[in-house]
Amino acid sequence: MNRNKSGNAYALTMLCPIKPGVEGNRIYADLIRDQLESWNMASVSPMSLVPNTYLCRFFVLDDIYTESLPGAGIWDALSDIRLIPSNEQRLAALPHTDRLQSRYLVFTSNLHGDVDDYLHGMWQSIHVEINTIWKYCYGFENVNDEVSFVAYAKKCCLDTSLFFVGSNDDSLAAQLKALYVKQEFSRFAQETQDLSASQLRLAYTAFMQHIKPRDVEQPTWMAGSTHVDL
Amino acid sequence: MSNIAGKAYAINVITPVRWWTAWVNKLIFWFALKVPKTLNGLLTLSLIHYARWVIIGKNEFPVLSADQPKEDLRYSYMLFFSNFNGSWEQYVDSFTFAIPSGLDMFWKWNIRYPKSVPLTPFHDYIRYNQIQTDHYYNAYPMASANDVKSAKKLHLALMDFDARLDTHATDDAFQKSFHKLLRDLQHDMSMMHHTPIVSMAAQSVQMRLVADRMRRQNKVEA
Repeated sequence: MNRNKSGNAYALTMLCPIKPGVEGNRIYADLIRDQLESWNMASVSPMSLVPNTYLCRFFVLDDIYTESLPGAGIWDALSDIRLIPSNEQRLAALPHTDRLQSRYLVFTSNLHGDVDDYLHGMWQSIHVEINTIWKYCYGFENVNDEVSFVAYAKKCCLDTSLFFVGSNDDSLAAQLKALYVKQEFSRFAQETQDLSASQLRLAYTAFMQHIKPRDVEQPTWMAGSTHVDL
Repeated sequence: MSNIAGKAYAINVITPVRWWTAWVNKLIFWFALKVPKTLNGLLTLSLIHYARWVIIGKNEFPVLSADQPKEDLRYSYMLFFSNFNGSWEQYVDSFTFAIPSGLDMFWKWNIRYPKSVPLTPFHDYIRYNQIQTDHYYNAYPMASANDVKSAKKLHLALMDFDARLDTHATDDAFQKSFHKLLRDLQHDMSMMHHTPIVSMAAQSVQMRLVADRMRRQNKVEA
């Protein structure tokens, strides 16, 4: 059983170690953040060009964190009820704190279909942007084409333990078309409330010709757009 | 930083877990996959688009180069990523109120997990271990998870209605059947509009575009 999959949806999780270098007066991890921040300022994310991306995210993992407040476990409780603990005892009761040796670029995507096809499509669509982000990562110096990118990505992949799909696993094109139809049909229902039976029938025929419900590609809601008419 | 994209919020939580209890966690997840009934509680949380749990062993952090320093960790780590509609508080609290035992089952073995009830220590724990997202992309920023599901239902129903349409029927008969379609779909019809803030990033873009437009106007007037 492939635990990364749920029906036709796939959970891609990549953890990519970042080199510790400095460029100008900024560390590589911050340069990656700067680049991602510039994507936030674009009218549409470059990821909208990557086929079959439902939702995805990027972040830099600087380190890992350990909450030191007592939890609800028996050992936490026992460590808390000692009456006069010494400082050593108090410190010994705290959980160990791990420190990462490298920072990591974390990329996760919820996508439709085969992950290899997805990664190939990602390189074909935004290889310039991929280079600007991943060039600061270990191992990426060997990436120079689609095949080497997919090989690199596979080395960074983590297996999912549990993937939950609360939405649906249709292709992105099918989801976007359905959303377009929902939006337009809701508008149509609202605007035709006062029409006579004959007017309604004419309006319906024109409406169906306009929205082409069986054509998944056009007209549709563009990926990443906040308006149906963009 | 951009945890919000349209109506979706991206949460990332990374929590330490002892290497041997990580296997217990993996077993629980395996069981949840084998017996989907155990996820029924999650299904009631219709605000979730997609969520995942990933357990990474203390020796399983990816090594891509001989130059890369090796990690030396005592704990394994559980990574939780979710895409949901609404605010952070609504989401975290809905977990607590809807499936507290399920939540405890998944996180129980994590270091210093305080249990999902009471709320304040649980909030503190999640906040402490949450990592902010640098870039978040949503293919349908105006749609909630429920919109995606209802859109599919509406789309199929409309195509079915159209396919069954009797072209010889009178206009009145058409109107009657159309009104029945509307009644059947009344829970699935709604217009998707902007929320007050689509996202911090989108808001910045809008502000920049307005500023650019005003600058251009001022230049023309000058």
